[in-house]
Amino acid sequence: MSYRLPAPLGNAIDRSSAISFTWNGKKLKGFEGDTIASALLANGEHILGRSMKYHRPRGVLTADFWDPNTTVQVDDEPNVRASHRKLADGMAVSAQNVWPSLKFDVKAANGLVGRFLTAGFYYKTFMKPAKLWPTYEHVLAKFAPGGAVDLNTPHGRYDKRYAHPDVVVAGGGPSGMAAALAAAEAGSSVMLVEHEHQLGGHLLWGSDDDQVAATELAASCEAAGVEILSNSTVAGRYEDNWISISQRNHPGVIERLIKARAKTLVVAAGTIERPYVFQGNDLPGVMTSGGAQRLIRMYGVKPGTRAVVFTANESGDSAVEALQSAGISIARVVDARSGEGITSASGSKSRVKRVTLSDGATVDCDLLVTAVGWTTPTSLLNMAGDRPVYDADAARFFPAGPPDNVLATGGMVGDGSRNELIAHGRATGELAAGRAVVVRHRIQAATARATPVDGQEPDYPADERTPLDRARHPEVYRSTTHGIVDYSEDVSSKDLFSAAGEGFDSVELIKRFTTATMGPSQGKLETVNTVAMLAEARNETIAEVGTTMWRPPYAPISLGALAGRINEPTRVSVLQSWHEANGATPILAGQWVRPEHYGDPAAEVLNTRTNVGIIDVTPLGKLDLQGPDVPKLLSLLYTNKWMALPIGGVRYGLMCAEDGVVLDDGVTARLDEEHYLMTTTSSGAAKIWHWIEMWLQTEHPDWQVHVTPVTTGLTSINIAGPNSRELLGRLTDDIDLDPDAFPYMNVRRGTIAGVENCIAWRIGFTGELSYEIHVPSGHAVHVWGQLLEQGADLGVKAFGLEAQRIMRLEKGHFIVGQDTDGLSKAPVTGLNPLLKLDKDDWAGMPEVAWTIESGDHPVIVACQPDNGSVVPEEAAQILRAGTTEIVGRITSSRMSPTLNRSICLAQVTKEFATPGTSLEVLLVSGERITATVQEHHAHFDPEGARLRG
Amino acid sequence: MVEITHLDSMPKASVRAADGTAAAAALGLNFGSSERRGDTLVVRIRPDEWYLLGDGAPAMAASLDLSGFASMVDTSHSRTAVRVTGDRAADTLAKLGSADFGDHMTPNRAALGNGIAGVTCDIVRDDQSGVRSYLLLLDGSFVTYFLGALHDAASEF
Repeated sequence: MSYRLPAPLGNAIDRSSAISFTWNGKKLKGFEGDTIASALLANGEHILGRSMKYHRPRGVLTADFWDPNTTVQVDDEPNVRASHRKLADGMAVSAQNVWPSLKFDVKAANGLVGRFLTAGFYYKTFMKPAKLWPTYEHVLAKFAPGGAVDLNTPHGRYDKRYAHPDVVVAGGGPSGMAAALAAAEAGSSVMLVEHEHQLGGHLLWGSDDDQVAATELAASCEAAGVEILSNSTVAGRYEDNWISISQRNHPGVIERLIKARAKTLVVAAGTIERPYVFQGNDLPGVMTSGGAQRLIRMYGVKPGTRAVVFTANESGDSAVEALQSAGISIARVVDARSGEGITSASGSKSRVKRVTLSDGATVDCDLLVTAVGWTTPTSLLNMAGDRPVYDADAARFFPAGPPDNVLATGGMVGDGSRNELIAHGRATGELAAGRAVVVRHRIQAATARATPVDGQEPDYPADERTPLDRARHPEVYRSTTHGIVDYSEDVSSKDLFSAAGEGFDSVELIKRFTTATMGPSQGKLETVNTVAMLAEARNETIAEVGTTMWRPPYAPISLGALAGRINEPTRVSVLQSWHEANGATPILAGQWVRPEHYGDPAAEVLNTRTNVGIIDVTPLGKLDLQGPDVPKLLSLLYTNKWMALPIGGVRYGLMCAEDGVVLDDGVTARLDEEHYLMTTTSSGAAKIWHWIEMWLQTEHPDWQVHVTPVTTGLTSINIAGPNSRELLGRLTDDIDLDPDAFPYMNVRRGTIAGVENCIAWRIGFTGELSYEIHVPSGHAVHVWGQLLEQGADLGVKAFGLEAQRIMRLEKGHFIVGQDTDGLSKAPVTGLNPLLKLDKDDWAGMPEVAWTIESGDHPVIVACQPDNGSVVPEEAAQILRAGTTEIVGRITSSRMSPTLNRSICLAQVTKEFATPGTSLEVLLVSGERITATVQEHHAHFDPEGARLRG
Repeated sequence: MVEITHLDSMPKASVRAADGTAAAAALGLNFGSSERRGDTLVVRIRPDEWYLLGDGAPAMAASLDLSGFASMVDTSHSRTAVRVTGDRAADTLAKLGSADFGDHMTPNRAALGNGIAGVTCDIVRDDQSGVRSYLLLLDGSFVTYFLGALHDAASEF
């Protein structure tokens, strides 16, 4: 039987465009504009899902975004809201979390043991015996709700954008549209956000005049330049009107998160119809008056054939008209305003068949429509600090008074005719625009920009809107029987009464204990009923119970939308193309893509030790320091002394944070009288720049120091090995490389390979005679090429990061962040001669002094496994022999091609730091090996003869 | 339509100068603004820092009196420039950065700092023949990644 109604009913569908889809494998047809749910109902499918806990059959309740039990699987996408998602050609739609079928679901047996599954049962069961928990967990997982995730589904494209509108209007009903239009006409930039697919709100399922008004208002908004975001939700309101918007209809992306900074937020979220609580209220065929009208007027779908209408307001009355217009027989109108009521509904497993009235009479029907009142979705106002207040005469909550930059309009603040709602919306839009002008003026005045703000700040507009009336409404929440309160979580009024009986007297606690309001509807249908049940159970008023605090998001957002586009910056040096062309294996070191090796890192080590190697060390942080107070700055930040560094001199320095923990290290050269060049670790460059600026700007603004990062501007090339002097000498005429003229730890400026303004440092991380040259990056490819060409007969070869790391470990140089950690204070490094406690002060000095005095700290030592063929894993634990007491860890380890054995650095407690001490190292395999502490950090050339040569 | 251009070879200099110095007086401008002087775009990007951009930058930098607490660093090799031009240029940047690129807050000649696609940028609104245009200055090592992110963002326009 088809439930499709003839035109003109169905203003949202296009009957000229038929759509084919399947439902649990069965081929069906719908129309363009149908939701999945409306198309299914049109085809006579009234059970769309099963409830979460008891697996009771469920159908359409509200026929909109908040419909709680119509989530379905669409192709490989789980948890799709069938009452919201538009039908698309070829969709394969299926019920989820049912077995073996939707109509016969074995899990419905849960209903038979329902008394053991009451609210909070999971807090009380499955506790003992504890060893059976894995079994419980395995079984319980089978009952987890939700659809099936296909792990082979390709990653979808999500997006993000920022926006700075003057006014954001949340809600595209008559008041929201009017507010947006008035604000736009007043000159504001406006975003109008509507979570359904069309603007119009309740006008869409209202009278013909209502529908015409909705169309005209929407067109006016568009013509006025309002940015209309339909099928989008204002998900949250944060400090200073930072508004998060989930946009679901942007072309080319699944979902887009808009981060909007609105000068004024207008909340026009309307009202949401409450379900009535009574026995059988979750049967398919029981629905709200709005749901029935939406199905008839928007989708041209007949929700039933013979109806009982239980009404307490005008919406129920208009539902009667809609049902009659659809040819549905009205079996009985039960009017709560006249003291009439219903007590229960009963039926088959597929839908309602009979309604029992409070006078005991029964009425046969296949549709029960309820119209018992409204919930004001004050979430966004709550997020702005407002706490809603209950009005018993109107039987709903109202805002108490949001902050000045948040305005509410429409059904949220009162009732009225269409024209009254539009008038209030217009007044609100004008007020929002006026306040936005003031806020914009203030922002402009406080922000440095090219054009100074004009004139005086405008007067802040006062709120002179004529308030909307509040229509009287009977308090109709529950019959004399118990029914479902939270359809998503299968929480009944009986559960809530039981929880209240157990002592849960706070609505916030009862929410968490029962999970009422915590499902996909996020309380929109359930919160006020939950409050009403608690009030009834405790014999209090609803006002006394109050509401829960509504927090973001207003509606669920996908994790993909929160992630947006994944932008993870990476950096490369200008030599990257050469590295790639010459077979480099890339490695991501921090943000830098670097050559790990060119095929054989061990061979690269041996060539460098024997001949000469070059490595691209551009990521080395470089800061240009200029000014007369640079020595003071260096003395403050480094642990050693800097006041007497000569021009051309280079000094190593260790930096500590204020807690004495090692922050960074590097060398700094004095290039000229008031000009220095500092190097930092590759990963520490930005951190140290900010560290320096922090000290200069907050503690010593009187010091004259200019800091400019030049890491990328100077491509850094380390030339290392016995032939390095010869090689560099072939490329420069104006730098005297004689060891006496240019000794170790010195710096010179000159021309290299014809490139002026190069800087040559005689330093090295590899332990070899080496020069680090800094070349203006625009010329780096040329210089790199010249080094390779001119050094061919010297055996020059490029080496990568791995070879460098091996050589530095052979030499015993520690790496900050690898051989130290977030707890390693400076004395851990063993560089005590550099910790100058006789200086006036330096960052971290008090903590370092205290650490030295206490002597209670680990130290870095070099150690070698007694079996030189075994390389312990980095981070392998060092244990007290024969015990499980951890006394240290391996921080760096490699097989040394130079020594042909394994070598390590380790952090150990002082007790184990003496040279010759035997350490017991626990490998990942569980095997324990022994290693011996060495006399020096350097495993190779401890005297430094090679690097000083 | 959005046009993205990498201005790899644009000469650039950073001048730091304290109030009262000859260099500060010569460069002038309000903080957060820029001005074209011949073939040099002068940008006061921070209270005590100016950028000199364009072919005339080296000559202008060389002509400055750096007496007092003033200094200059040639940033041609460390910073790079990317120009984003077109009616939807602001929309493109709004997908990658949180600043307000609209006319009220960022009129032509405005200068500001903002993270774009996770990269710290200095941004100058520098319209070209009446067409909206933004000059983005960033550390050159990011540019391969950065251009990819920009093109990705602009693809919808």
